[in-house]
Amino acid sequence: MTSRRREMRKARAGADEESPRQNGSSSRRRSEQQAFEGEDPDSIPGGLQDNVDDDNDQGRRREIRSKYRDLINSVQQNREDMLSPSNNKLTEVLEEANKLFKEVRQAREAALDAQLLVVATDLGKEKASQLFSEGCAFDPTAFAEHLLSFMGLNRLEEEEENDELQNGGGVDGFLPKDAWHRLARRTECCFKTAPTFHYMMGSFYAEPPPPKQKSDRQRKASSKEVKRIMPTQLKKMEESHQEATEKEVERILGYLKGYFEDDPSPMSYYEFVIDPNSFSRTVENIFHTSFLIRDGLARLYLDDDKLPCIEPVEEEAGATSNRRQCIVPISPNIWRELIDVFEIREAIIQPPETQNE
Amino acid sequence: MTQRKRPSNTLRLSQSKRQSNSVMTQEEDEDVTFTQPSSSQVQRGLEKLTPAQVDQKTAEVVQYILVKDQKKIPVRRAELVKNIVKDYRTVYPEIIKRAKRIFEQVFGLKLVEIDPKNHMYILVNNLDTPAAAASPVKCPSNPKTGLLFVILSVIFMKGGIVRENQIWNTLKKLRVDPGQRHEEFGDVRKVVTEEFVRQRYLEYTRIPHTEPIEYEFRWGHRADMEVSKAQILEFMGQLHEQDPRSWSQQYREAHTGSSSSQNASSSQTSSHASTSRK
Repeated sequence: MTSRRREMRKARAGADEESPRQNGSSSRRRSEQQAFEGEDPDSIPGGLQDNVDDDNDQGRRREIRSKYRDLINSVQQNREDMLSPSNNKLTEVLEEANKLFKEVRQAREAALDAQLLVVATDLGKEKASQLFSEGCAFDPTAFAEHLLSFMGLNRLEEEEENDELQNGGGVDGFLPKDAWHRLARRTECCFKTAPTFHYMMGSFYAEPPPPKQKSDRQRKASSKEVKRIMPTQLKKMEESHQEATEKEVERILGYLKGYFEDDPSPMSYYEFVIDPNSFSRTVENIFHTSFLIRDGLARLYLDDDKLPCIEPVEEEAGATSNRRQCIVPISPNIWRELIDVFEIREAIIQPPETQNE
Repeated sequence: MTQRKRPSNTLRLSQSKRQSNSVMTQEEDEDVTFTQPSSSQVQRGLEKLTPAQVDQKTAEVVQYILVKDQKKIPVRRAELVKNIVKDYRTVYPEIIKRAKRIFEQVFGLKLVEIDPKNHMYILVNNLDTPAAAASPVKCPSNPKTGLLFVILSVIFMKGGIVRENQIWNTLKKLRVDPGQRHEEFGDVRKVVTEEFVRQRYLEYTRIPHTEPIEYEFRWGHRADMEVSKAQILEFMGQLHEQDPRSWSQQYREAHTGSSSSQNASSSQTSSHASTSRK
């Protein structure tokens, strides 16, 4: 660390002083040597007596550390001032540090000393670089001032409203809107920028894809009338079976009407559709019955026990105002339960002779 | 990085690697696997292809670079090979050679490799620097040019490296505050430290041993290629009403550089700069 300090002092634009630091360090080295050469660890050479007292003085240690920290802070805080060529504060800081170093005993203090050295060298480097600029130095503040004038700054005195818009600061006046454009135009010649490639007539006009609303509406319409569309779709699929389905529906209508002619009392819907011998036929019966209901030829209602009943309807198919829909779920378990509950022994709707299963 | 002598050479390398890693790691890896074919390989490759095919491929490369240059972000060799050249990679040097020729003769542009390590290209105007008088073509000016000019000239006049605080202070005096949104430039800090750096106009590197972390600015590779120091000095002279020669050090740097063609002999300018900085 010694040589570095020496070089730093030389780098400053200052006189050649005798550095007290050297004496301090050599005396320290001497005392260290004495400590090592002492054969008897218990007998301490007389010269070190004072140092031992210093070592044990915690207050002194703290004081030294705090002074170092102060020095470091002063360099960091006053950096801008100390940079100026006329300011010699850096020298004073170094002298102060030299004095402090004489009393450094422990690693903590030495670390602070090293930190101070880093900060001071950095500042010293910047000061040195300032020295070497020949000709006249460049002052960014003056540069900024000239630029503002060039950009057309209006230095009016009473423009308070515009002052708020700008950064405030010291200078009054406001920059015109095209200030930066003006500067750019003047300085474009400094740049050998390749002009960018653009199609002369612009790009083709890409229209956004047709709006998706239509499909949404269609989907919404279909979801409302699930029951309606399902049979339609199925009908389409089974176009070859269309007649068969219609025949089935008519057949079932026949059963319904027949039973009501015989017995006009309400018939349970479940009794009507369930075939205790076959789950699949039950489902088919439900399916065909739904056609009747859709066409308005039969109607489902809840009786006093809240059980669904079915009865044929005499009105015209078209004159239906009060249409409601429901979905009838059925599973084999439900089917068996219904058979047990309603004690259905035989199917009301006879299975047709010809059936492709 | 032999082109430039920098004090913090290794730091800059790691910095650029970090930056490119954050942008496109995959393409860097691909670039590593792409080795420049030897001249004999190129010859053999050329024999297998018809001249029309090579011309077609060259034209594609030219168009790709032209469009990529709109944002002024350098084109990576890896991208070029992966997207355009593809199977023609054996004759890649020939394609690039022809592309360079087309740029020069047809467009008056120069295709320059600004980063020999990462293999990146930019386009530079090859025509003689136009005079300070306005050009006959009235194209709209980009205010960012003005901002960039200010930063580059401060760095140049201050010897090539400037702490970021100096730049921010200068800009503040021009009513451009990095902490506030500027009506022309928007997020100024982002434009300066990200956009200009990505375009390679500036370099923004960390200063070691600073607490809190501070950065410094230097000219980027693109600025070295594109920007005329002599012109900057000329404008400086006009602004300060001084003779440009009064800044002797900068004048020397500006005029030795330009006399030996700014792009090729960057080593000369760098050695010049290092002697002046000692």
